Amino acid sequence: MKISRRAFLRAGGLAMMSYGMDPLFLARAVYAQPGGTPAAKPGRVLVCLFQRGAVDGLSMVVPHGDAHYYKERPNIAIPEASVIDLDGRFGFHPALAPLKPLWDARVLAPIHAIGSPDPTRSHFDAQDYMESGTPGVKATPDGWLNRYCQHQREHDETPFRAVSFGPELPRILSGSAPSLGIDNLRAFGLRAPNATTRDRLTRAFEAMYSVAPTGILASSAQEGFEAAKMLQKIAPDRYQPEHGASYPNGRFGQSLQQIAQLIKADVGLEIAFADVVGWDTHVNQGAEQGQLATRLGEFAQALAAFAQDLGDRMNNVVLVTCSEFGRTIAENGSTGTDHGRATAMMVMGGPVRGGRVLGPWPGLEPEARFEGRDLAVTTDFRDLFSEVLARHLHSGSLDAVFPGHEVAPKRYLGALRA
Amino acid sequence: MLRGMPPHVRAGFPRGPMDHALAQFTAVLVLAAIPLPAGAAASRAGSVPRPDPAAAATVALMTAEPHAALTARDSALHVLERFAYGPSAGQVDAVAREGALAWLDGQLDWYGASDPRLAAIEKCSPALALAPDDWARRFTETRQAVKQGVPPVMARDETRELLDDVRALVVTRAVKADEQLREVMSAFWFDHFNVFLDKGDDRFLLPNFIEDVIRPRALGRFVDLLVATARSPAMLYYLDNVQSVSPENPPPPRPDGTPARRTGINENYARELLELHTLGVDGGYTQKDVIAVARILTGWSMKPPAEGGSYVFRPGVHDFGEKFVLGTRFAPGHGEEEGVRLLRLLARNPATIRHVCHKLCARFVSDEPPDGCVDAAVTAWEASDGEIRSVLRAIARTPEFWAAIDAKMKTPLEFVVSAARAVDAQPDTSARLADAVAQLGEPIYRQPSPAGYPDRQRDWANSGTLLARMSFAVALAAGRQQGADVDLGALLPATGNRDSLVDAVNERILGGAMTEHTRSVIVSELGSEPDPARARALAVGLALGSPEFQRR
Repeated sequence: MKISRRAFLRAGGLAMMSYGMDPLFLARAVYAQPGGTPAAKPGRVLVCLFQRGAVDGLSMVVPHGDAHYYKERPNIAIPEASVIDLDGRFGFHPALAPLKPLWDARVLAPIHAIGSPDPTRSHFDAQDYMESGTPGVKATPDGWLNRYCQHQREHDETPFRAVSFGPELPRILSGSAPSLGIDNLRAFGLRAPNATTRDRLTRAFEAMYSVAPTGILASSAQEGFEAAKMLQKIAPDRYQPEHGASYPNGRFGQSLQQIAQLIKADVGLEIAFADVVGWDTHVNQGAEQGQLATRLGEFAQALAAFAQDLGDRMNNVVLVTCSEFGRTIAENGSTGTDHGRATAMMVMGGPVRGGRVLGPWPGLEPEARFEGRDLAVTTDFRDLFSEVLARHLHSGSLDAVFPGHEVAPKRYLGALRA
Repeated sequence: MLRGMPPHVRAGFPRGPMDHALAQFTAVLVLAAIPLPAGAAASRAGSVPRPDPAAAATVALMTAEPHAALTARDSALHVLERFAYGPSAGQVDAVAREGALAWLDGQLDWYGASDPRLAAIEKCSPALALAPDDWARRFTETRQAVKQGVPPVMARDETRELLDDVRALVVTRAVKADEQLREVMSAFWFDHFNVFLDKGDDRFLLPNFIEDVIRPRALGRFVDLLVATARSPAMLYYLDNVQSVSPENPPPPRPDGTPARRTGINENYARELLELHTLGVDGGYTQKDVIAVARILTGWSMKPPAEGGSYVFRPGVHDFGEKFVLGTRFAPGHGEEEGVRLLRLLARNPATIRHVCHKLCARFVSDEPPDGCVDAAVTAWEASDGEIRSVLRAIARTPEFWAAIDAKMKTPLEFVVSAARAVDAQPDTSARLADAVAQLGEPIYRQPSPAGYPDRQRDWANSGTLLARMSFAVALAAGRQQGADVDLGALLPATGNRDSLVDAVNERILGGAMTEHTRSVIVSELGSEPDPARARALAVGLALGSPEFQRR
């Protein structure tokens, strides 16, 4: 499906300007690769973001056309007048305003009523399943992003192929394929009081490990030193975002900025992962303003800054967000929400067929709910991730990435151009 | 044999991918050096000597020191790296004088004898001063405060400090305890019966799980440990058994008339009990067994936190029907006692014995332990009704154990603790060292998966954390690591002579395990460091960051 340039300009070009964004990449994204499957090419990047704590999909992407939403949430519903309407049925929380131009430019699509086939309401089980990619199976030793790397070996060998930003390597990237956990690009490598000491230690340890008695220690150390040296050339502490992009303060904004840095440094980054926390809003969730609004505001600003900073490079990037489950349709006794079932996720980037809310909507009427109380899951999260791996990274081994899950392109949502 | 050789000879031995060849070679040497029963002699010239369990037991009985092919110091270093968190400064010599197996027997037969250094640490711990009721009360108060609008961060401040203390204790005890084997085995069993600190009520249930369930039984009979974990609220909550109720006996409606949410069994604990705690994933059970086990364990629950959160059996939600597990009939009409019967049955199942013995050998011998040591462990288990002490004693007397020098990669916890012990570091009361372990990839008590942390090399040889290990080593030696005081002056004389400095570091810090290559790198780096104290810190930091020190 082609979208006329005129339609694009009418839909989003002006709004984009008003946010100070360079609409060039978006225009190219719309026109790039009309039909047909492009050949696998290097430089494609998948960014996966995990909203830990179970984000309230119903107040993030508001079903403002559904009366049950307002009936069940007398204190914390987003008033119809404040919702940023998307398609007459759904609208963004007002704090997501920075994402509206991306929607208008059709490079961003929310997916609603998505989640896990396993009904657990335990954060840790549900996160574990979403990261292992095997709902209901706890013994899976590795994460699905790592399994993708294990089975897709033709990618250039680089220590930066799969990088997680955070203090620990998350479950989703753990496994036998090399992956790098980076707490902070500026602090990666050997810690030392000054550059002279660091260089001396690097030299010594590199020499020491060049003949380490086991292959894996030697190769891991070499990868680490190689990564540290490449980073020194990039000089991460002197990074300036481009195109006027301004990342929000805080860990999440920093993570996205560092992902953008690595993408621009052309170090071979293919998979990037970062966490964003604070979504477990059991108490005083707030409505247009408050706890959830603050978190969503930071989230949206960071995503918008990332797209703006990368400019044309977004043509090769797909960013996907996920969260372990959603929250109750009804507010609880503490003007918050409890653990529910389905939530909303987002997919963004040049290859995205955006400007549409994806996923069958089950409705909020009591008989449509899961166990009579929660938004039902109509899209298995693995179908979204499979589509992204197949259509963006041209993965040919989805059976191994999601064992026990039947790969069925007919269940793809059409989130990306085929 | 190996450690006793000059470094240049040792460096020439094949390792790592060639570990197998090394194991064969050393096993032959070890066997050649000890009197063999007639039946085993035929295998001597073969590839892998694999004595049958009975023969292995005979070997153990016949020879007090089956590691006669190793020097006394090499043997001492090997047992200290496996049954302790590595040697403390000077400990290799002490244990070499005592005899490696004599030292191990002392650890196995400790039976609660006093450990003054450990007692001093425990006396200062605010977390250990709290009874289970105190934990439950504080937790309930915090929860109330959050409900009343106190920001969670503030409300949880005090609890967080206590939980920092709980995490800090793991490291401090491991560094300082003389009864090292209890620390090693407590960590092993915690990973076997993993509980996740950040899951709801486990924030207050976990400390009691460590102190009263795991630690007192770390060397005793497996069945006792199994029953105790099954009766612990920490486990029942973590694996959702508290929510598992008989469909025939649903809980009463809530006060407001709405039906209770949970109206059926929850298989979570039953499955992990079979898969992880007892039979093993290939232990021959089916989904029907999982369901039957879950039904038998309905009613194994806990009191609400406001009432102390202790274990309770709730007959009202128990399934009193007939069940079959692994072909054994559980007649109708039984309550809590059929659960105990089930656990005893599982603890004595051959699949369980093999599974747990294999795991013990993977911890104490090598990632893929040879059949010989597993067979010996199984024999000892069967002879002692699963007494862990006897099993460990048997493993330490197998040729496979003595052939597996340096076969294991240290986990982050083992690395941090062994480094602290090597330089006689004094941990403070903060959780900084525990945080360092977390930064290397192993947040203590924060493994969400019930499988616990893995301990194989492929799980820990990650490039980012390997560099972080080197940084930790250098910072610790330089006195820059927060959470620990280090005084290298008390360990090693400052000397301007590079060769004698590195020799001293090899002897005192690495127990003589330094390769010629590592030695030459350190000596060469010292050439650019004229200050004797800084040279000493550099040499120690490089030694602790070396490939040799990542292995045990």
